[in-house]
Amino acid sequence: MSISEPSAATDKGGKPVLRLDGICLKFGDKRVLNGIDLSVVEGEVVVLIGASGSGKTSLLRCINLLNVPTSGSIVIDDETLFDRQADGKGAQIPAQEVNRIRSKTGMVFQQFNLFPHMTALDNVMEGPVVVKKEPKEQARQKALQLLDLMGLAQHVQKHPRQLSGGQQQRVAIARAMAMQPKVMLFDEPTSALDPELVGEVMKAMVELARSGMTMVIVTHELGFAFEVADRVVFLDQGLVAEQGPPAKVLLHPEHPRLKTFVGRFHESADLLRPFLEAREAEKVC
Amino acid sequence: MFDYTVITNNIGLLWQGLLMTLYFTVITIAAGMLIGLLVGLIQLSTFKPLVILGQIYVEFFRNIPLLVTLLWVYYAFPIFAGINVTKFWAGFIGLSCYVGSFYAEILRAGVQSVDPGQTDAATAIGMSYGQRMRRIILPQAFRKMIPPLAGQSIIQMKNTTLLSMITVPDLLYQASYISSFTYRPMEVYTAVGVIFLIILIPLTLLSRKLEKSGSLK
Repeated sequence: MSISEPSAATDKGGKPVLRLDGICLKFGDKRVLNGIDLSVVEGEVVVLIGASGSGKTSLLRCINLLNVPTSGSIVIDDETLFDRQADGKGAQIPAQEVNRIRSKTGMVFQQFNLFPHMTALDNVMEGPVVVKKEPKEQARQKALQLLDLMGLAQHVQKHPRQLSGGQQQRVAIARAMAMQPKVMLFDEPTSALDPELVGEVMKAMVELARSGMTMVIVTHELGFAFEVADRVVFLDQGLVAEQGPPAKVLLHPEHPRLKTFVGRFHESADLLRPFLEAREAEKVC
Repeated sequence: MFDYTVITNNIGLLWQGLLMTLYFTVITIAAGMLIGLLVGLIQLSTFKPLVILGQIYVEFFRNIPLLVTLLWVYYAFPIFAGINVTKFWAGFIGLSCYVGSFYAEILRAGVQSVDPGQTDAATAIGMSYGQRMRRIILPQAFRKMIPPLAGQSIIQMKNTTLLSMITVPDLLYQASYISSFTYRPMEVYTAVGVIFLIILIPLTLLSRKLEKSGSLK
């Protein structure tokens, strides 16, 4: 079922930054992922969609081993992070190496997960100073730059609880970016936000994508997927059911479940249509 | 009716007792914290045999009356293990192990109450287990642990009175000694109670303050 030719699915033909092969994941008896192959090339933006329980968040968490797959292999930037075959054989990678390779990915969480006992600035500096042992001053400059880029220059000395959800999420993006990752992973980054705050986080992500960052994004915002994704991957029952350019997957889906999934989105968009048309009509007058 | 001279005449003995009580409170809390940190972290590890070992330790010392532990270390240890322990060492070992088991539980509960998302975030930026604990988890857990730690430490100071049972000359031992020749136990034990109040109430207030300033950050 899964499609294992990554370059065929996207027009960006760079070198692969991330390569997943046969990722299986079980929680107890429950099979969550059933052998997923996915390759992401440099600068590519991949959006994972699927109904809840389809395994998209689990898959994302497998990429940096927050979930340890039952079997499969993960290669990031030509380095093997994980390798275990179905028969239990495979390369044992020492914890220190895992931590080092893992820091080549940056992750942004649904619940932000900022460190509440640190200021925004310290949150962003934490990784470079503690993990990469960068000199404090250098890390500070870089962190200030990133926070500025996220439009948070006035908030660097604030603690997370003093910031809005959207601001917290942008700090979280800056924190992940501070490690200079090869690939950024976003786990439903706007799902916990008030609707009026979604835009600012998406704007930051769009800018990140335009700057050439490789990104894997789990989201329910299909409009956003349509706008920035190079490839949309639809997961169903722990498998890649369909993937391709957003125009193809979102507008002309083939897989029956994807049809229903996208159909529901179109239905809710239809509800907005009168409102949008009224606004357009006003503009014309 | 209430004869204050019993206390004023023997203030020197009470002072010596108080110093002994404070000394044991401080050293057993310090040692207990080390034990608690070690056993707590053992209980939080992912290696099953270690976790069980930690649990056995905690349940053992938590569920045996402290008095029995003290008497056992002092009297039975020399007999069964052939090691002679002085009453000071027996008191130190018994009290430290006892309070250590409670501290271990407080640490475990404190760490487990920290949002798992914090571990995820720290792991995701490449932190090792030690870095995660030191920089992210323990600082947050510690704030939640201040009230129960203070509570347990206050209990620990009061528990040192059991040292008198193995003839360590603490405050209570001196009190019973004084009442044995003055025949005025009421005055003497009241004085002991007042001394504990005077020392512990400010400490309680301090812990409340710490708790508040901790949650502000």
